[in-house]
Amino acid sequence: MVFNGLINWFRNLFGRRKNISLGIYGCTNVGKTTLANKIALDWTGETVGIASPIPHETRYVQKKEKVEIKSDNKKLNINIVDMPGLATKIDYRQFLKYKMSKKVAKERAKEATKGVVEAIKWLDNVDTVLAVMDATKDPLTQVNITLLGNLEARSIPVILVANKIDLKKSNPEEIKEAFPQYPIVYISALKGENMDQLYDAIIKHARKAK
Amino acid sequence: MKLKMDFISSGKLNGKAGNKRIDYILGKVKDGSILVMDGVMKPEEEMNLIKETMRRVDDGFPGIEVCSLKKELKGLKLVFDRLSDGKERLWNWISRKEQSELKTGITLIGPAKLIKKIKKNPDSFSVLAET
Repeated sequence: MVFNGLINWFRNLFGRRKNISLGIYGCTNVGKTTLANKIALDWTGETVGIASPIPHETRYVQKKEKVEIKSDNKKLNINIVDMPGLATKIDYRQFLKYKMSKKVAKERAKEATKGVVEAIKWLDNVDTVLAVMDATKDPLTQVNITLLGNLEARSIPVILVANKIDLKKSNPEEIKEAFPQYPIVYISALKGENMDQLYDAIIKHARKAK
Repeated sequence: MKLKMDFISSGKLNGKAGNKRIDYILGKVKDGSILVMDGVMKPEEEMNLIKETMRRVDDGFPGIEVCSLKKELKGLKLVFDRLSDGKERLWNWISRKEQSELKTGITLIGPAKLIKKIKKNPDSFSVLAET
C-alpha cells in the first residue's frame, strides 16, 4: 500500500498524467448512457451500463476507468463517468405506463431522486463535462441552463453534445443558437456518427490533468 | 379550480440566510403555491434547490417546475458583475455568510403537478398550469 503510494507519487512528480474524469451530464433520455457505451466500446470493447427508453434507467453513477482515447497524434486518458439524468421532478406514475407495478415504480422513483442528488454532488469531482442534449427537443430548459451556469461558476470545461442527429426532426442548430458560447459537436451516439469529431473536441477542450 | 400565486420581493428573499431561502420556497411550493420571485438565484443555489427538491419528493409532491429570466449583461457591465460576484464570495467567506443576494431578473417556481408546460425563449417565457 505504502509502496504503491510512493510509486504513484514519483510518477506524478515526473509528469505522468493522471486520468481526467469526463462527466456525462444532461436531462433524462438524452442518450447519456448510449454515448458512454459508445465511447467505452470504441476504446475498450466494453460497455458502461444499460441504455433504455424508460426514463431514469441510470439511477447510479456508472464509471469506466482508464480509457485512452486518441485523435490524430494526440492521446488522452479519461475516466468516463456516466451520470443519472438531471431533473426537477420525478413522478412514480410516469413509470406505470411501462407496465411496472406501483411498488416497483415507487422504488424506481425513489432511487432516481437519489441519483439526481448523487449526480449534482459529482460536480465537485469532474474535470471536464459533456453536456448532452437531445437535438429533437427544445434545449432551453432550466435544467440545461442551471447545469451550464454551474459548470461556468466552477470553471469546468464543457463540450455541448447535440445527440440524436440521425432522427429526422433533429435540429442541432437550435442548441448552438441557444448556447453559442460553448464548443459543440453534433453526433448520433446510437449510429456512431461524428464520434471522431467528439474525440477531437474532448482532447482539445478537456482540462489538462495535473 | 383554484390556483394560488405568491409574488415575493427580493428584499424578503434576500433577508433569508443559508438554506432558509430554499426551505421557504419549497415550503410554499409544496403547499401548492406558484411563486413569482423578484430576482434570480445564482446557478449554485439553483442546483441546491434541485437537490433539496429531490430529497423532498414523495407520492404527493413529484417536484417542481422552475424558470427564470436573468438580466443579460454584456461588455463592461458583465466584467463588473463578475468582479462583484468575486467580491461577494470573498466577503461571504470572510464573514462566514452562506447566502448570496439574488440577481436582477424574475423567477417562477411551482409544483410540477400543477405546471404542465413552460416554454422559454431568451427574453420571455410562458407557463401552462392546470389544477
